[in-house]
Amino acid sequence: MKKILPFIIILVVLGVALGSAWYMQRSSTAPSKPPATTASANSSSTPLATAASNAVPGAEPAHKLGPDNAPVHLEEFGDFQCPPCGLFHPIVEEMKRQFGDQLQVTFREFPLAPAHQHAIAAASAAEAAGLQGKFWEMHDLLYEHQKDWKDEFDVRPIFEGYAKQIGINVDRYKQDVESDQVAKRITQDGNRGHSLGVKGTPTVFLNGREVPFESLPADKLKVLIQVELTSPSR
Amino acid sequence: MQGEVDRAKSLTQPQPGWIYVVVAVLSLLGLADAIYLTIEHITGQSVRCTIIAGCSEVLSSSYAVISGLPVAMIGAVAYFTVFSLAILYLFGYKFTQLLLLVLVGGMFIATLWFLYLQAVVIKAFCQFCLLSAAITILMAIFLFLVPRFLHKRR
Repeated sequence: MKKILPFIIILVVLGVALGSAWYMQRSSTAPSKPPATTASANSSSTPLATAASNAVPGAEPAHKLGPDNAPVHLEEFGDFQCPPCGLFHPIVEEMKRQFGDQLQVTFREFPLAPAHQHAIAAASAAEAAGLQGKFWEMHDLLYEHQKDWKDEFDVRPIFEGYAKQIGINVDRYKQDVESDQVAKRITQDGNRGHSLGVKGTPTVFLNGREVPFESLPADKLKVLIQVELTSPSR
Repeated sequence: MQGEVDRAKSLTQPQPGWIYVVVAVLSLLGLADAIYLTIEHITGQSVRCTIIAGCSEVLSSSYAVISGLPVAMIGAVAYFTVFSLAILYLFGYKFTQLLLLVLVGGMFIATLWFLYLQAVVIKAFCQFCLLSAAITILMAIFLFLVPRFLHKRR
């Protein structure tokens, strides 16, 4: 008995390890929202979990690109300081190029403060540029130059430089960044995110349904958009 | 010179069993930690930024994967092997002692490399990676330093 006991112990530990790995893997990929029982039943055909219907609207007017009557609406909750959001930015650009007028993209502010110390400053910069009609220009610069500013101590002069670069009135921008109007827009977008159960960034909704994070790489997202385009349920 | 040889010998002499009990317990903690990190890695949870934990720039970095395998998964296999070898030693399979020294030595060097990557290259730390580093360093202390200390006292 003493000879085989260590092997029994080792096998038991192996079994427990594999079992707990399997359990953790299952529970973390299972849809977390209650109405998802129906969604997971036919998950092979519609891989998107249904979103909560009691969502609050968010800041109005929202930042949208593409026609309102586009068959596919993509809504991104993003944080300009979040590295995976920065990686997701070129993917959205690719989708816009590929699907053109069939896709409408909406951006919602979801700054993860205090984990990201400059997230609110960056969101404010984009919203302040938005008040002068240049939200997307600032949005693009913030994402594309994320590495240049995220570790800086004071980001204000950098963002003011971006404001100058995109050709908005910098004096007005400096006032707007601090304004209640900008703060309110960020809060409203955040509230919408919370009401939809957004817990991290980037979180993406396609026609109101949350896209699982593992489906955000370009090739997988493309397939999901194509499914939405051909889906008769629209 | 003779002292060095003595000290090296002290490592491969039969050691008190409690050292291996401690190492086995530590390796189980390391195994649990590594399994958690592996699952986070595979399901993509670690790649998203969240309200509670912020971002894991470490786990989403290119250093978190070695030739297609998540580093955490390699770690889980290593911890499981350490556990198996320690248990075998405790049940009288003394040949596992040298294997254990080689394996934990290698894990210790890998840990130093990963600490360097986090501190200097990625410039961000991940909690559970640091926990794993602490566990490996403790295992190395129990296998390499504690026997020397006991040897000196004898």
